[in-house]
Amino acid sequence: MVKEKRILVACGTSIATSTVIADRIRNLCEKHNIPVKIIQCKVPEVRSLAEGMDLIVASTRIPSGINVPYVNGVSYLSGIGMENTDQEILRILKEE
Amino acid sequence: MFSAVNEIVQFILGLGASVMLPIIIFIFGLILGQKPSRAFKSGVTIGVGFIGINLVIELLVNELGPAATAMVERVGLELRIIDVGWPAMASISWAWAAAALMFPIGLAINALMLATKTTKTLNVDLWNYWQFVFIGAAVNFVTGSLALGLIAGGLASALALVMADYTAPYVEKFYNMPGISFPHITALGYLPIAAPLNKLLDKIPGINKLYADPETIQKRFGVFGEPLIMGLLIGAILGIVAGFPLADITRIAISMAAVMYLMPRMVGILMEGLIPISESARELMQKKFGGRQLYIGLDAAVALGEPSVIAVGLLLVPITILLALILPGNQVLPFADLAVIPFLICLVVAFGRGNVIRSVILGTVIMALVLLIATNISDIQTALAVNAGVDFPEGATQIANLDRANFLTWVFIRVFGLFGK
Repeated sequence: MVKEKRILVACGTSIATSTVIADRIRNLCEKHNIPVKIIQCKVPEVRSLAEGMDLIVASTRIPSGINVPYVNGVSYLSGIGMENTDQEILRILKEE
Repeated sequence: MFSAVNEIVQFILGLGASVMLPIIIFIFGLILGQKPSRAFKSGVTIGVGFIGINLVIELLVNELGPAATAMVERVGLELRIIDVGWPAMASISWAWAAAALMFPIGLAINALMLATKTTKTLNVDLWNYWQFVFIGAAVNFVTGSLALGLIAGGLASALALVMADYTAPYVEKFYNMPGISFPHITALGYLPIAAPLNKLLDKIPGINKLYADPETIQKRFGVFGEPLIMGLLIGAILGIVAGFPLADITRIAISMAAVMYLMPRMVGILMEGLIPISESARELMQKKFGGRQLYIGLDAAVALGEPSVIAVGLLLVPITILLALILPGNQVLPFADLAVIPFLICLVVAFGRGNVIRSVILGTVIMALVLLIATNISDIQTALAVNAGVDFPEGATQIANLDRANFLTWVFIRVFGLFGK
């Protein structure tokens, strides 16, 4: 049993764009047999929720000084460069 | 033959939005070439999200309504209109009979404008088509003409593209996002007012010397960015001002925290159902126009991580509540859409080059107008909600929201309103 990865997905409202990003990551991890728990939040909440996360994916910048790997997920919204973002996320999740 | 088709259409419309939308989304999915199982699932998901949102609106109106009424009677504050928030208004908009037509119309207008080079923006943000749908539904309501509603919604989508082109250089420079633009009416709606005001501020000596550090403000005012706590606090304060007994104060506090917390989750469900449609449409449009140098039109949410935007958004929460109390003519009790303020001001902050003080000044003017416009169009929003099947309790509770109290949206509704009834 592989350890479940915890991913924080953040955007402006924790509603719209983060749902699109979360959906894509869920499918991606399913395909690669990585069990994940995805939590959606607003950007101002990132600081208080970051602890214990394996990865943060956001559609925006995130506050400075957070010690969790961060990937910008804007490509999942624009449709440009999605595969690169996929690879980046997989690399971080498989590293540990 | 025709009457049979008409009967089927009338039957489907009569089922209400929570059944009608899933059917329409299913058919759309098939047209866009999705597998039937996927299209079916996304349709049902949207229906579920719709029902979830209605449950939360009813909780909000049932709990907050009596408190607002008691407050009006007890201390004479005329804040009888409840701010139900944009998620509620989005789902209410989708209940418009012609809502789903906005997808093909909007996409066709976008394609046409790209082909004629009247825009460089490819709007892949289908979720925010609800804002054009809202304009369509509101214009339909005030004019009684469905056709005028569709025309207004279509024109609004075209205007959003043009304004997105115009503001794209700011998005590139200030947010460092080349190739992205925001055809998002929430963010664009007050620029016709904010842009000249911003120029005016330039003429006032010393204003650019004022500085406030975004990170400090974030730390100190962070509570205004936590919906759960905001809901709890506002609920408790309302209960106290309304003169409720302690048991009722605690109940309304928890209920309001629940509304703030649950609403986004319900909309998340609606959103999940829309993802397959929006992906298929994006792929289709990109295949057609992908070769050219274009702006990809996104939700302005992607800009909200900027520290100065967060700081201004937080500061404007208490300012907006204060404005609601003292602004003559305002009857709206700001609540659910306090979370939407960063969207309203994100481009304004970019215009003001990230200066917090200057943006707060502009933001205060904007929020005052938001409250007045929200009051002005609350009749329309309440009527649309009733049409969408939201149950209101006895007594005339009115609803509004801050997001759709948008200057451009208001202009569309009022100008088109001249042509009807």
